[in-house]
Amino acid sequence: MKKYQFLVVGLGVFGTNVAKILSQKGAEVLVIDNDEKKIQEISPFVTQAIVADATDEKTLRSIGAGDIDIAIVAIGENMEASILTTLLLRELGVKQILVKNINPLHAKIAAKVGADRIVYPEVEVAHKVAESFLSPNIFEVIKLSQEYNVSEVGVLKKFWGKNLKELDIRAKYGVNVIAIKRKAPFVTDSGESDFKEEVNIAPGPEEELNEGDRIIVIGKENDIEKLK
Amino acid sequence: MKKEKGSKDSDKPEEALLEMGKFYFVNGKYDQAIDELKKAIEINSGNPEIYYNLGLVYESRNQPEEAKKMYKKAIAISPKYKLAKEHLDKLIGL
Repeated sequence: MKKYQFLVVGLGVFGTNVAKILSQKGAEVLVIDNDEKKIQEISPFVTQAIVADATDEKTLRSIGAGDIDIAIVAIGENMEASILTTLLLRELGVKQILVKNINPLHAKIAAKVGADRIVYPEVEVAHKVAESFLSPNIFEVIKLSQEYNVSEVGVLKKFWGKNLKELDIRAKYGVNVIAIKRKAPFVTDSGESDFKEEVNIAPGPEEELNEGDRIIVIGKENDIEKLK
Repeated sequence: MKKEKGSKDSDKPEEALLEMGKFYFVNGKYDQAIDELKKAIEINSGNPEIYYNLGLVYESRNQPEEAKKMYKKAIAISPKYKLAKEHLDKLIGL
């Protein structure tokens, strides 16, 4: 498989974490920031870390930005710098540019000057936090589209002791169960108790649901809500 | 068999209830496990292992807030309680 080359511009919390995660997963990661201290700190974790001004075209050319496959513009507050960097990277021929949103106007302009994708980390986290209070029985949500989600849901009491065939969740709720997460308690020889989490992917119709189980379901958001 | 003075059970009369609690927990009988562990606390509220096990039961029942309270109590009594810390950290998101 081709090894993608990434460029991360801006070492705030988001940029730093994206760079580190990409590196941990074996990608080639070049990072730039104008803060020398931040560059020194991330240097051991990435392929190359350079103190540079990303709004300077010559600098971007000199570091070979044109050969980059995917650039992540993670400049935190300076809207002008973010937009200019996006524009320059597009002109230099970066294949894909992802830009961290600063505000709605910035997002619009960034898209106009060449961003392929705008990401809204704070908004996404805000949604998750709000949902966790409103639907405490829904533990994780991945949005597939405007309408469809994959969600991890605690099993309703009325489901306990029944198998998937009896429950017929697809017909009754309009969602598909794609996995069951279950805690398997144990006690060690020395008497210490604990549990390990087991995941049963594509469970069969005879699989019984019990207290404490969580089901991973795919379906319309409104239908999944009925399971909470 | 006559128990020797100073043996584990004679020092900790709540141990039998704790063991019952663990037994029910391992067998997925969470309500019964909680009953036994609460009885154990009534006898000795200073045994961190009881709170830890209650934490495990609540966590297994998808009641993370209750579980956190129990792990915190276990750690308050025994600050070096590694397993309780690990579970609490995970629930908090550390």
